[in-house]
Amino acid sequence: MAATFFGEVVKAPCRAGTEDQEEEEEGRRETAEDREVRRQLARKREVRLFRRQTKTSLEVSLLEKYPCSKFIIAIGNNAVAFLSSFVMNSGVWEEVGCAKLWNEWCRTTDTTHLSPAEAFCVFYHLKSSPSVLLCQCSCYVAEDQQYQWLEKVFGSCARKNMQVTLLTCRHVTDYKTSESISSLHFPFLKALKTQNFKEPPCCSLLEQPNIVHDLPAAVLSYCQVWKIPAVLYLCYTDVMKLDLITVEAFKPILSSRSLKGLVKNIPQSTEILKKLMTTNEIQSNIYT
Amino acid sequence: MASRYDRAITVFSPDGHLFQVEYAQEAVKKGSTAVGIRGTDIVVLGVEKKSVAKLQDERTVRKICALDDHVCMAFAGLTADARVVINRSRVECQSYKLTVEDPVTVEYITRFIATLKQKYTQSNGRRPFGISALIVGFDDDGIPRLYQTDPSGTYHAWKANAIGRSAKTVREFLEKNYTEDAIANDSEAIKLAIRALLEVVQSGGKNIELAIIRRHQPLKMFSAKEIELQVTEIEKEKEEAEKKKSKKTT
Repeated sequence: MAATFFGEVVKAPCRAGTEDQEEEEEGRRETAEDREVRRQLARKREVRLFRRQTKTSLEVSLLEKYPCSKFIIAIGNNAVAFLSSFVMNSGVWEEVGCAKLWNEWCRTTDTTHLSPAEAFCVFYHLKSSPSVLLCQCSCYVAEDQQYQWLEKVFGSCARKNMQVTLLTCRHVTDYKTSESISSLHFPFLKALKTQNFKEPPCCSLLEQPNIVHDLPAAVLSYCQVWKIPAVLYLCYTDVMKLDLITVEAFKPILSSRSLKGLVKNIPQSTEILKKLMTTNEIQSNIYT
Repeated sequence: MASRYDRAITVFSPDGHLFQVEYAQEAVKKGSTAVGIRGTDIVVLGVEKKSVAKLQDERTVRKICALDDHVCMAFAGLTADARVVINRSRVECQSYKLTVEDPVTVEYITRFIATLKQKYTQSNGRRPFGISALIVGFDDDGIPRLYQTDPSGTYHAWKANAIGRSAKTVREFLEKNYTEDAIANDSEAIKLAIRALLEVVQSGGKNIELAIIRRHQPLKMFSAKEIELQVTEIEKEKEEAEKKKSKKTT
């Protein structure tokens, strides 16, 4: 037995093995009911890839069906707003697929009627150049779903001649630095790339300890393992909601090779972004 | 580490932080920018107007409020908390006047607000007020005052300051541009406040609200037209300054 800081008494694990161990093992043995519950939960949390127009699932992974040379992934509402205003408005994009998933972060327990904003990752390709693929992911992909997501999206596609660009945001408190946070000017952009990414990134690299989380980390790890050139542009901000200043912090990426040629009308894009912001801001009256 | 010490307001962390107070200061940063300038014969408060929904009555969304005839304040942060603080301050201003037969000094009412805020950082079961305030006015001696309070209950006198989102940028602008010339007369002080706000306000003059108090005069709120005029003048001066610069280089 051991006492914790707060004075609770807990049973300390014993490596020697005691008589109690047998009892514990019995308790741990799974019943059919447990297995069924687990199966249902796994089914609920399955990542499904399908075409919204036809409502048919994709039999192969997305990149096997739509091989691409450029794959741009926006994760989080600010990154999605950036791509929507600057990239998607400068060309004709066709939706090629959508990944639907449910986890505890979704605001509904109904797994059949999920709204796009909560639980979808939508994939588009540029009509004039179908080898350019874009993903808008505004939902949260839980840890146990990230592997499924990668399998359903990347699968065993050809990994040569492909470049992946990821955009996402994190709160500035995640940024590890010896300086005081009050001396930083946020939002600011940092980059993290795989070994095979040879281009110079559009901003400084994320310093050690260069820790990244969630889906962007899963995609980057996948690209590193499969030697795919990939770069993650991470915007550290103090406003996690949709915010104009945070979205504009992504602007240096417009000069990168992956986005050059995809962005045509920057002033118009800025106007579209402002409209997007005002619709969102007006809803909340909590802060003045 | 923070997760163990940041839930209760009355608990210090081992390194001396009161996390709830610090988090309240983050709430202030979610409010739009407010700037205050103390001139020689004028005090100016400028705020970034919050965008109003189509069906919402604009008059009910106010960031600048009069506390008494000679004192007014602008806030940034939680709207509801501001309403409570403003109501209590207004009552205190009148209560003081009835008791002492003199209007409050700006410092007195600031100290009242700061004391109120501090009480809420030391009480169990209550959270701190999530607002910072800029309080301006003239005392009976005719000296202009500008004070700033924050959720921890501290207050300080300032020559010029900003609160809310992008306050850092505005403060840096003021540090560079607040000179004796810049506040030489009333119109220069007003222009300085507007120029400071234009650094961070998205759509220019139509998103700015301005209030001034002149010595022995009541609070005056600028109309949208008057602000537009000021913004046009500022833009003209900017163009002329740039033309002069380019002439000098050629």
